[in-house]
Amino acid sequence: MTTDTYVAGTGVLYRFDPRAKLLLMVLLCIWFFLPVSLAGAWLVVLGVIAAGVLSVGLRRMFRTFLTILPMLAFMILFIPFNVRSGEPLLVAGPVVLATREGLLQTLRLMSRFVGVTFVCALTIQSTPMGKIMLALRWYGLPYKASLVVSLAFRFIPFIADSFSQIKDSHRLRDPNIDEGKGRKGYRSKLGDMLPTLTSALVVSLRAVPSLAMSLEHRGFGLPGKRTSYHVLETSWRLFTDLFISTMIPVALWFLFAVR
Amino acid sequence: MDGIVSITDMSFSYRDWLSSRADALCPPVLSHVDLALEDGSMTLILAPPDAGKTTLARILAGLIPKYMDGALSGTVMVDGHDLSKTEPWELVHCCGYVSQNPLDELIAPTCEDEIAFPLESLGMPRYEIIRHVRAALEAWGLVSMREASAQELSGGERKRLLLAVQDAVDPKVWILDESFDDLDVSWRERLMDRISSRSNTSVVFGSRYLDEFHGTFDRYGLLDGGKLSFGNETDIALEFERLCETPYAASASKSVPGFIPVSDTAGCGRSVMPLHVMEREGKEHRLSCTDVSAVHMRRSMVQERPFTLSVPRFSLLGGEVVSLCGPNGSGKSTFSRLLCGLDLPLAGTFSLDDDVASRTVLNRSVGYLFQNPDYQIFLPTVKEELAWSLKRAKIPQREIDRRVGECADLFHLDLDETPSTMSFGLRKSLQAATYYLLDRPFYILDELDSALTYATAFDLVNLLRHNGAGILLITHDRRFADALADRNYTISDGLLSEAEEGA
Repeated sequence: MTTDTYVAGTGVLYRFDPRAKLLLMVLLCIWFFLPVSLAGAWLVVLGVIAAGVLSVGLRRMFRTFLTILPMLAFMILFIPFNVRSGEPLLVAGPVVLATREGLLQTLRLMSRFVGVTFVCALTIQSTPMGKIMLALRWYGLPYKASLVVSLAFRFIPFIADSFSQIKDSHRLRDPNIDEGKGRKGYRSKLGDMLPTLTSALVVSLRAVPSLAMSLEHRGFGLPGKRTSYHVLETSWRLFTDLFISTMIPVALWFLFAVR
Repeated sequence: MDGIVSITDMSFSYRDWLSSRADALCPPVLSHVDLALEDGSMTLILAPPDAGKTTLARILAGLIPKYMDGALSGTVMVDGHDLSKTEPWELVHCCGYVSQNPLDELIAPTCEDEIAFPLESLGMPRYEIIRHVRAALEAWGLVSMREASAQELSGGERKRLLLAVQDAVDPKVWILDESFDDLDVSWRERLMDRISSRSNTSVVFGSRYLDEFHGTFDRYGLLDGGKLSFGNETDIALEFERLCETPYAASASKSVPGFIPVSDTAGCGRSVMPLHVMEREGKEHRLSCTDVSAVHMRRSMVQERPFTLSVPRFSLLGGEVVSLCGPNGSGKSTFSRLLCGLDLPLAGTFSLDDDVASRTVLNRSVGYLFQNPDYQIFLPTVKEELAWSLKRAKIPQREIDRRVGECADLFHLDLDETPSTMSFGLRKSLQAATYYLLDRPFYILDELDSALTYATAFDLVNLLRHNGAGILLITHDRRFADALADRNYTISDGLLSEAEEGA
């Protein structure tokens, strides 16, 4: 149950102090909800994606994009229908299907959703979980709470990994493998996925008591202060990184704020 | 006699989850067990699969009944702690447990964090933690993997990581549940040296490698039918061998033409009867590959040189058993995934009957029994599990029932049992049974023998090749490989080559 989302690397983002990185992540997430221009928001999204591609690679970024793709599809399909007032863009007889305002609102929501997703994903992918825990504790989060956050971030990819292993296994056991590939309906595809999902659920549920058992057997719960193997150094570097983390959203605000 | 470990009249039954009553219990797994171990003693407890090894090990580690519902009676004392009144975290210093399935136990994001975690819990100063972590990584050959995620380690490397955690904490009592499995011979020797060179009390639960254990332990015990008995090494080994005398060979030999039960059981060096195989109808299949290479990167750490697998030539004929041996992390599982078409090679081709085999053809022709059976078992009952592939193949229900019933008899499985509550060994049998029904021309058995007795492992191999299937047997047990294999391949540092005859 130990898969984590970290992708090893040596780029600038990896050298950035994790405390500063967390601060930057929070500030950028807030920034996306400030009154900034739509073009500015998408430029920042593109900037974050570019930084991600340079740091963790195109493949990882694309995988992150794939995970949010269904949500984006829902936004594109349903939000324009929801906003009927304003300048019509798409009309079917007497029915207004999409308006300019609806389109802008969709793009705004998408920029926020994609931006926040990639900012968070990039922080987690470029920072070892141990360091995220230390940074959270530096900000005053109690050890147990930071451990819960850390375990949650590890547990989700563990399930994803199990899912992939189980899918492989079922691929080998399924006598109808690739039969009618490309011609199957959604119901059939979903039916095919059911055994894999069931197995992944069983593996995940089995992992819960094992995790608790393992934590307690390794002394989690002992009274007295835990020590720490890793430490985050406090130096001028931290000050510089925190300053950069604060200045980036401020600069972006001045650049793209709607006046 | 009281010692560091003392168990008096202890019995344990798991809760019966199939019953509607909350207090309903299954038949006892352990019954009136008495055990007293002196400080610094070394004890080997042999038991066939499903005899209660893991249950006893977890009771000693203070994890049962806290995490697995059941009724425990009697007294269990470890280093002066009455376990009925002790929380698991209070036992960190006095009792360490290495489980059979390492992936269940690993909690930290990297190897070094895994080792450091209990030391942090104990409040050890940082410089001491660094020293202990470094020493444990060096002792168990994990220095180059210190920043790697355990998910990306091989089975043997994970087992070494758990042993490294124990080594760093150095508890007074070491409880090792089939810990020699998954380790290659050099690491098994290292583990044996480790437990015999220190003053810790060791309890090793095992079912294999008896020849490697010979003369090492102070006490030899046998766990069977819920009872624990002790005796001298020879008596215990002979009794164990008698118990393991192939539980389903008799039924198998009646049902499968050409099946000959194998009588070598406890690995005491007796020769093994040659396997007689019923010929597969039609032409004999041949699976081969040439100049295959693959690259494997660990995502969790920066590697100067990624792992590269290179297979100049490999072949497997129908009816043949070929072994593949190599150290932990040498690329055995990577090759297996290529051979059954789960992964694509960087270069090279796979052929079936001299025609280039696509990924789908390999998927359909090569059954791959994963090291961890839990990834291949997913339905609530054994019956449903066995019937799944047959239903997908649209076989009539009556025929499915017949085949499933026969298969369950052959593999000694209870059709109504819940796989997730079965022992590790039985889950492996179920995993083999599901593939038996698929009737593939080739099988890859990835450390099938781990956690099984020789007899059970022999029987499973025998059953899987009943119809002339070719078997690639991946194992760390040279004796097991030599007894079964017609030819041997070895793999080292990613280079796979055929071993010379007699090598």
